[in-house]
Amino acid sequence: MLEMFPGRIGQAILLILVLCAVAIGSRLALRRKWKARAISGIDKLDSWIKHASQLNRSVFFSPGTAGVGSTDTLAALALLRYVAKLCVQNDVKLIIANADLNVQQVTEEILKNAYDEAGKSDKYNVDCVRYLSGSIFAYAAGVMGLLRRERPALNIFLGAFSAESLEVAEAGRSAALYQFGGTSSIDQLPFFLATCDLTLLAGELYAAQSYLTNDPWDISRTVGEDVGKVIAILLILAGTILISLGNEFILNLLNL
Amino acid sequence: MTAKQKMTPYELLLQIVIFATGFFYAFTYYVKVSTPVDLQAIADNSLAYLTAMIITAFAIGIINLTRIHYRNIKLKRPDWKFSIALLGSLYGMAIFSMISSPFQLDPQAMVIPVWLINFIQPIWSFMYYNVMISINTSIFSLLAFFIASAAFRAFKVRTLESTILLVAGLLVIIGEAPIADLIWPGFSAIQNWIMLVPNTAGQRGILIGAALSIIAFSARRMIRYS
Repeated sequence: MLEMFPGRIGQAILLILVLCAVAIGSRLALRRKWKARAISGIDKLDSWIKHASQLNRSVFFSPGTAGVGSTDTLAALALLRYVAKLCVQNDVKLIIANADLNVQQVTEEILKNAYDEAGKSDKYNVDCVRYLSGSIFAYAAGVMGLLRRERPALNIFLGAFSAESLEVAEAGRSAALYQFGGTSSIDQLPFFLATCDLTLLAGELYAAQSYLTNDPWDISRTVGEDVGKVIAILLILAGTILISLGNEFILNLLNL
Repeated sequence: MTAKQKMTPYELLLQIVIFATGFFYAFTYYVKVSTPVDLQAIADNSLAYLTAMIITAFAIGIINLTRIHYRNIKLKRPDWKFSIALLGSLYGMAIFSMISSPFQLDPQAMVIPVWLINFIQPIWSFMYYNVMISINTSIFSLLAFFIASAAFRAFKVRTLESTILLVAGLLVIIGEAPIADLIWPGFSAIQNWIMLVPNTAGQRGILIGAALSIIAFSARRMIRYS
């Protein structure tokens, strides 16, 4: 017996619409070979990694303290693929510190794949991917210690962070030459902006991979994402105007 | 995966599993199916497997920590003595917790002797309440100093934007201070306006942008694995 949950019918229609829009937008972008718009300053990432190679210093990467279910973590992992590839190409040691056990496994796999793809499997060192702790302050203490001991040239922290973000960022400020951060957590963004040379703000974190890799598939996926956003923005605007005029059509539709 | 690459059979299977799982949970959220099978019950029960998988993954973390710190000690790398402290605390607390803690394995003292439970109990309490919680609180309190140093760096008159930030920051700090109203009652009103109008507007802009990105990002992940 099939029965729709009351109050969720409108949401289901909206989800189907967004999914279709994402799929169509992706295909269109792939066919027309669209380019991604540059994110200010992100090109510096390549030169910072090359600089780390020249100084013979490592690169530190933190994918945040949330699990694999967090979209920020997924976006951070997508960027880790790019960073790992560049580090392997430039023979730079990449140290990854994790706070989640599932993320630990994924990051190990990403770094191993980067070495395998570059034909340098023998240089892969499993000790470079470290699980520190599931407790945020123990993780922060671990990261502070790692940054002080390893003295990396570049400190990258992307993903979901909470109170420990400033500790990671400030410790990095005193140990690393460059800092690159990104999160969608509004509470932590001011700390990132105050301590980083380059910060990815909220939505930029999800789009950065497309621009960096310049891969048509990645760009098409970001276009699909943007089409979904346009639909949501149009709904917000229409809802605001209609409610202001005393019409509750959109409200009723979403409450179906 | 790039444009030129095609999915391997393994990746295709993985993509099908991801889409099917995502679709199943989305379907059970929107549609109630009670007969012939209760899909909601299946969805709830299958989450128990997720918990089991997460607990299994816990062992990987312990193995990783042990491997790295054992090698530190074996090769006498710099600061190797800290690795001894880490491994000692890790396994010591695990053993103590199993013997005598709110999560002890044998609360009825069927196998573990009572004298051992009574002996370990104060040690566990001391290690947990007097050591671990104190260390956690200390690390948390470091934030105050880090905020001061970050603020010192951020509040510098370099550009027009940083000057606006400095002035707004100072007004908010003064407005929050208990003495503000004694100096001039307007400070509290200005502080309130900054927090409620420009600050809230900026935060909502970022929040809506991030929320929309998350919806579209999740939809994209469900349609195509990457």
